[in-house]
Amino acid sequence: MKALLLALLAAATLQAQPRPHTFTLPNGLRVVHLEDRERPLVRVSLLLRVLPSDTPPGRPGLALLAGRMLTGPGGPRTEAVDRDLEAAGIRLDTASAPEGLTWKLAARNREQDRAMGLLAELVLRPVLNPQHLAACRADCMKDLFQRGASPGDRLREALAWDPAERPTEATLLAIGPEDLATFQQRVFRPERATLILHGDLGIEQAKRLVLLNFGSWPAGPTTPVMPPAAPPKMLQAQPVLIPRLGPALRIQALAPVPGDLRPEAAALLSLLVPGNPLLAPLRATWEGAGLTLTLDTTAPGAREAWALFFGRLAALAQRGFTPADLDRARRIWGASLSLDTLNPEAQMARAQAAQEGRLPTQEALDALTLQDLNADLRRWLTPDRLRVGAIGPAGTLEALPTR
Amino acid sequence: MRLLVSALFATLALTAQVPRLTDVQERRLTNGVRVLLVERRGLPAFHASLVFRGGRADEPTALAGATDLLARILYASTWPEDLEGGRPQAALDALLKQEEGLLESLRLERLRELRSPGADSHLPALEASLAAVQARLQERLSLSPLADLLRAQGGRQSAEATADALVARMDLPVEAFQAWCRNEGQRLRTLQLSRFSEARAALLADLRSKAEPGPALVLGAALPGHPYGRDLADHLPAVEALRWSDLRSYARRSLSPERLTVILVGGLSLAQVLPDLEKHLGTLPLPLDREEHPLPEIQAGLGDRRVQATLGSTPRLLTGWRIPPRSHPDHLPLQMVAQLLGGGSTSRLPSHLVRQKTLAREAVLRMDLPGGRQPGLLLVELEPSPGHSLAELEAALHTEILKLQQEPIAPEAWSRAQAQLEADHLRALDEPARLAGALGRAWAEGGDWRLLDLEAQRLRTLAPETVQAAARAWLQPSHRTTARLEPSVAEGQDPLDAETSRVLLALAASRVQDLAQREHLVAEGLRQMRMLSPDERRRTLKLLEAQLPQAKR
Repeated sequence: MKALLLALLAAATLQAQPRPHTFTLPNGLRVVHLEDRERPLVRVSLLLRVLPSDTPPGRPGLALLAGRMLTGPGGPRTEAVDRDLEAAGIRLDTASAPEGLTWKLAARNREQDRAMGLLAELVLRPVLNPQHLAACRADCMKDLFQRGASPGDRLREALAWDPAERPTEATLLAIGPEDLATFQQRVFRPERATLILHGDLGIEQAKRLVLLNFGSWPAGPTTPVMPPAAPPKMLQAQPVLIPRLGPALRIQALAPVPGDLRPEAAALLSLLVPGNPLLAPLRATWEGAGLTLTLDTTAPGAREAWALFFGRLAALAQRGFTPADLDRARRIWGASLSLDTLNPEAQMARAQAAQEGRLPTQEALDALTLQDLNADLRRWLTPDRLRVGAIGPAGTLEALPTR
Repeated sequence: MRLLVSALFATLALTAQVPRLTDVQERRLTNGVRVLLVERRGLPAFHASLVFRGGRADEPTALAGATDLLARILYASTWPEDLEGGRPQAALDALLKQEEGLLESLRLERLRELRSPGADSHLPALEASLAAVQARLQERLSLSPLADLLRAQGGRQSAEATADALVARMDLPVEAFQAWCRNEGQRLRTLQLSRFSEARAALLADLRSKAEPGPALVLGAALPGHPYGRDLADHLPAVEALRWSDLRSYARRSLSPERLTVILVGGLSLAQVLPDLEKHLGTLPLPLDREEHPLPEIQAGLGDRRVQATLGSTPRLLTGWRIPPRSHPDHLPLQMVAQLLGGGSTSRLPSHLVRQKTLAREAVLRMDLPGGRQPGLLLVELEPSPGHSLAELEAALHTEILKLQQEPIAPEAWSRAQAQLEADHLRALDEPARLAGALGRAWAEGGDWRLLDLEAQRLRTLAPETVQAAARAWLQPSHRTTARLEPSVAEGQDPLDAETSRVLLALAASRVQDLAQREHLVAEGLRQMRMLSPDERRRTLKLLEAQLPQAKR
């Protein structure tokens, strides 16, 4: 009965959201259209998927640097393009993340043609300007090493990378124009892209705009399969240590979401782990890329703090969750679906996740057993998978045990 | 006649382009709580913002950090033990009182040990007692994150302390409205604050690893003696000394119904929400002490102030101008000034200083820092490109300001800035949380939510001459504070600052008993010292050091 009610609630919620229409152009570009006529606004998001095999061995940071050169200012995004965007009041945000390159546009509906035209220009005719390489490299280094940032920000940035894949100054300097050109040819292809349109435009208009602007994007030739980069080692890396003045010690770990984690388990664990009292005094926050765990202490004894940190994680992993926890988490997940209707970006992210098969379904949630959930929790919180670091006085950091 | 028809069509076209906020419905509850509702028919969810006017600027110095703590304790989660029927629980209160006493004893004991290191320590005994009380306290607190009542209904919540307000934000399914209303009434009646010690420790840890010391430095120098110029990181001892019962008393005064506006956006109608709002929030009692303490006046023309510091690892130039509050007629023209100067990558500073002259690596502009209820700052932050000095950058910035004040504004630049502000406004109306945030800010800063709509309409008729006149009136040297930040030798640390701080602390320790006051004196002393050149600072430091007893030098 309860399951029926949950299913009904989820179904009612999904009805209230714009229904996605999906179509694929002959060149392989996948398009999702979400119609919402409430306000005269159109949002467009284009994701170009980047695969680990796009980075050849010995070139960590290639995707980061290429992303900056191909999406950021100084590359294809010239001052003239920016002028066009700003004159039309179009907002463009670009991002380069390990999973792909993203362009996000928001425009008034009367500017939708211009917005799509500009987006197509940026994506279809990317220009790699070798003169811009040094400046982009310097920007990447600044972001990566967070020079001038607080110790807390520097630690977060350091933990965001898998140590095996984290670029260094040397690897960034080794990347040349040929590497970037190869990367561009491999990645900038319609079959790698998903385009999502949301807002005040109908399906026919959406089809017309997409075909007009992206229909001529040639499907890429079959490129030779590159040897994949060495798989990330099961990390036995040393903790990242950042000295600072004062007696306070912060131990922080990022538990990245395992690539093979079931989407429904990830959804429920993101509800069950942050704020779990078994972790106290650790603070756990869920931040998309994974779970961040933080312990702040002013008490002396670095080793004791270290033991407390890993002891709490072990306690949670060992205890796991109960059938009641699983049931409640399922119910909360179902009820929270309606919140996406409050945020167009969330609706677009949901559409993207659905395209990639990352969206938990009600059936899969119902089928998830407690054993599965607890096994996934243990796998996620395995100490070997954690990226760990600490900030504190130099003397205290020296006393921390190595991995 | 034809002209009249054309004018009518033109007006209609303009109105259609910029939607007006005619769909905001406003009501006052019996006790003064304001309710703003924006109905979005068919949405199965709603967003609620609770905006308490006041914020960090209203905190007395001894209670610095109170708004941040309330945001973290009261509105970060919704635990059942904090709501029990809307009445404080005697047993939980007793435990929290005991915890408060032990935390205070521990703090004093640690201070005593610092002053006389050899003396017998009571720390282990006190720590054991505190652990025992906290263990008993834990037994009364919810054990699962799913026990959070708002989360259990599929909702999410967050809160933020700003200079002008405490803002709590919640998203919930429509079916949960009634329960939400009851919970909010009980939350404010009870003010249990059961997670006080945990939240205070987390706030202290965050303040210790705080970033962005630059803007705080400029604010302190530009708005001396005003709560807007206060940096919470300078008040760690006051936060450490803040007690549960003090915070509770403060919450009773500062979170009063008259200071609260509830903003609802979503699938709710006024007829549906008013009875529950009246029943649960309209019956909240008014505090006995309702006296509003006006904030001190800030004079815009304090003179051209300069700060030099060795801070961080990259050189930066920060220039702030004291500008009027949001309710002032010149505020909107200054918003346009900010847009023209730094509102997009083709605006003047990024275009001229970063792209064309390559003097700067980055140009960031911020308006209404830290808030807009009182005169705040328009702040420009520039990072020089390699090979260029801060002095060059400063001269170039002044040239850009002069050009904006004196040379005609290019029509393309004007229409670009206008288009961006209009599009921003439209996007703010689109998303429930952003709309509620913009309405709440307009009310907290300008005293009236309609300001949001009025500004959008006024923007369309704004003339370039008005904008230039405002730039001439407010972006002048007597309103300016400039900070030149040079990188320190050891990244992120300034040895001269550290040494000055040590000497000032030692001097203050021999004269002032109260730790919070001592910390305040040291922070003020450091701020004053940063106004001097490095050589002058070194000389002053030697003079100060000479006043210390030989053993402490």
